Amino acid sequence: VAVRPVLHYPAGVLKATASPVEPGPEAEALCADLVDTMRASPACVGLAAPQIGESARAFCMDVSGHPKASSCAGLVVLLNPVIVSHDGSAVTREGCMSLPDFTGNVRRATTVTVRGTGPDGTELEISADAFEARALQHEIDHLDGLLFLDRVSSLTADLFPRQRYR
Amino acid sequence: MHVAVTAVGLDRPGIVATVSRVLFDFGGNIEDSRMAILGGHFAMVLIVDLPEGRDAPELEKALAEPAGALDLITTVRPVAEAEAGRASGSPYVVSVYGADKPGIVLRVSQTLAENGVNISDLATHVVGDQEPVYVMILEVDLPPGAQADAISDALKAIGSDLGVDVAFNPMDTETL
Repeated sequence: VAVRPVLHYPAGVLKATASPVEPGPEAEALCADLVDTMRASPACVGLAAPQIGESARAFCMDVSGHPKASSCAGLVVLLNPVIVSHDGSAVTREGCMSLPDFTGNVRRATTVTVRGTGPDGTELEISADAFEARALQHEIDHLDGLLFLDRVSSLTADLFPRQRYR
Repeated sequence: MHVAVTAVGLDRPGIVATVSRVLFDFGGNIEDSRMAILGGHFAMVLIVDLPEGRDAPELEKALAEPAGALDLITTVRPVAEAEAGRASGSPYVVSVYGADKPGIVLRVSQTLAENGVNISDLATHVVGDQEPVYVMILEVDLPPGAQADAISDALKAIGSDLGVDVAFNPMDTETL
């Protein structure tokens, strides 16, 4: 159990596809580190294993008390998560602990259902919307080596229409 | 040394490729840059790091012929070394929109300057043919200790003066 350093891009593990994780004591230890590290940064609402240097399909998330949250499952710790359904789409400016000083407009589904297991192997399913849905998608992207920069949908506000002159 | 390179010309494919070819061959490294189509003209501003022993007039000369072939207006000027640092203030977004009239940019930017607010990004655009709407979006940094409510009120007062709508909101970035 420890607060670990949060890796920044260009750490290679952030761009790798993470490996599936067996539930059990090792997974439990990794998840405890994830939660401790997330809790150590007040603004952090989610952390994926690659961000602390482990190429493993595990993340934790807790959007409790966040002003943008609608659904809130409290503390979520998931292994091998899969998005089983999603709906809607919205663009929001996102940032990432592993890419400090950058933000970008990212289009993501507004509701998602995610299935996985807890660190002890318990099967879990979470349906989320709004900020929690965005956080889930952001963390699961980390497990596939995707950063928000891979999903940037526009340079600035999606406001100024593209125009053809002449 | 760093130079500021600007180029503007009627938009057409190949402008970026042409300018960046010259910069590359010159040994320059494009650092921060912004490029966009503005009113049918492609406009670029680039901060370029030049290798030891090369200077702005030399680069300007190298650009002249290829840029001239595309009817680009180019300039190259040395710039002072800027210290990199994070903005210390709180980021806000200002949107101003309504019928186009003189003075919108001036009044808004003047009020921001008077309050020590730094503009980090600004874009204006005129949209629509029949009843054109003027839209200005700014990203600004409020200095530490600034009264956001007072700045918001001052901006909204300009809005009612000029008959345009003004919104002033904290920049919404969801850090995950």
